[in-house]
Amino acid sequence: MLQSKPGWLQKAVKGVLLDITGVLYNSGQGLGQAIPGSINAVERLKSSGIPVKFCTNETQCTREKLVSKLNKLGFSLTLNEVHSPAPLAVAYIKEHKLRPYLLVHTEALGDYADVEKSESNCVVVGDAAEEFNYENMNRAFRVLLESDNPIILALGTGRYYKDSGELVLDNGPFIKALEYACDVKTVVLGKPATSYFDGAVKKLGVPAENVIMIGDDLIGDVGGAQSCGIRGVQVKTGKYRLQDEQHETIKADGRVKDLAEAAELILQFNTVTT
Amino acid sequence: MAGVQKSARVFLSKMAAIRGVLVDLSGTLHIDNTVIPGSIEALKRLRDTGLALRFVTNTTKESKSTLLNRLKSLGFYINEHEVFTSLTAARRLVEANNYRPFCLLEEDALNDFKGISMDNPNAVVIGLSPNSFCYQTLNKAFRLLLNGCPLIAIHKARYFIREDGLALGPGPFATALEYAANSTATIVGKPEHSFFEKALADMRIEPENALMIGDDAKDDIGGAQNIGIRGILVRTGKYRTGDEDRINPHPLHTGKNFSEAVDYIQRLCAIDQVLT
Repeated sequence: MLQSKPGWLQKAVKGVLLDITGVLYNSGQGLGQAIPGSINAVERLKSSGIPVKFCTNETQCTREKLVSKLNKLGFSLTLNEVHSPAPLAVAYIKEHKLRPYLLVHTEALGDYADVEKSESNCVVVGDAAEEFNYENMNRAFRVLLESDNPIILALGTGRYYKDSGELVLDNGPFIKALEYACDVKTVVLGKPATSYFDGAVKKLGVPAENVIMIGDDLIGDVGGAQSCGIRGVQVKTGKYRLQDEQHETIKADGRVKDLAEAAELILQFNTVTT
Repeated sequence: MAGVQKSARVFLSKMAAIRGVLVDLSGTLHIDNTVIPGSIEALKRLRDTGLALRFVTNTTKESKSTLLNRLKSLGFYINEHEVFTSLTAARRLVEANNYRPFCLLEEDALNDFKGISMDNPNAVVIGLSPNSFCYQTLNKAFRLLLNGCPLIAIHKARYFIREDGLALGPGPFATALEYAANSTATIVGKPEHSFFEKALADMRIEPENALMIGDDAKDDIGGAQNIGIRGILVRTGKYRTGDEDRINPHPLHTGKNFSEAVDYIQRLCAIDQVLT
């Protein structure tokens, strides 16, 4: 592959944040499918010695199940390498002594096993998929109406993602629905919240200016990372659409075919001077 | 009484004469299958004034014929051509644009779209449809919007009263789709200008010659007053204490119920006659 050094690699890369869904694999029936070249790309990045963390808003199952699913697909990653919003939500709930109504996927309930849920006074909105039905939305609405201090804990605010080859609604639209229906404060705990990316950078242990975020979501991955001083590179897999390249405000630092190409370029051109 | 007449006289000397009245249905004349006391007799009195009359309603769950049957069985005398519903307004919009809509509507409401092709959809219509507000159907609507289909909302009410308490209206779900596909819904019902304007055009009167009676301060009164129709708010249905102060300008009048609103109009008409 003959390519010159891309602009997004001018500054040294000392840490990499990888989105999972749409970058490593596409979700769908059963385990979903690994995106060609991604298993090897993760392997190569990790063995090069650059610290790698996985930044995901995926909340359709517990973190343990997600890691085990990815391991079965062939990815080498462990639980403590995954930075996801559920533990942040649990910490927030405990710190503020909240009792959540969980509008989350039934497979993800395990993440909240030790949280008090009776007489709910806030709502956690994850990627609930089939649980996003009229009666559950009403339940969430009434919890918020009756709460003295109504709060939505948003496990991300994504608009959509790709599942079984089709674009499907993420949790963001359902959060907007509840916000429209009543006065409520939303605390975003996943991407694109700056606190989320700050936490991920802290785990990498390198300065934000030396970090690259690779994702398929222009707003959540690229925009979110950029607002924290992290370079954002978009892959043309997963939910990527041509329209992303004409976005009014968010311009990706770089755009690559897939994770394999990103890894290839990083390994070929990255100059770690320290 | 004297006070009302004096203020009305001052008012009428500056404003155009009343020629027609727009009336909301649910929450103003009836709530579900219950007549709001005095409304049947008051509607007769309103007809006796000789003013033009139209009913404007944000129905999204039931078709016009179901609604008319319900009103008839409750004892109201209302003609089909006098009723303007948001569903029939949506149908006109769909027809005018040759849309083949994917409809998030309840089965009864779909009767208002009879004869319209819905194959290979090129638009999305959303009303209050608990059965459609599930993940699969919302996903289907979302993908159509993402491919450039327009979104038409029957209206965007936040919530409504159901037997077991407050429940989400179509507004939150329309908002969810707007956010997901980065599109903006065209709203057809109250408080949209065009909705009131169609009813006025049908009566062949100008906004300044019309009154609107309703229980929803924002959508009935605020919406009407935005285009120069004077509004009378009633303290029935979804009215909550202080609603008259939540809109600016305030309603021309706030009455206990529809019957009292008609009393007020009869007085205005009497003064109108003296002045002319």
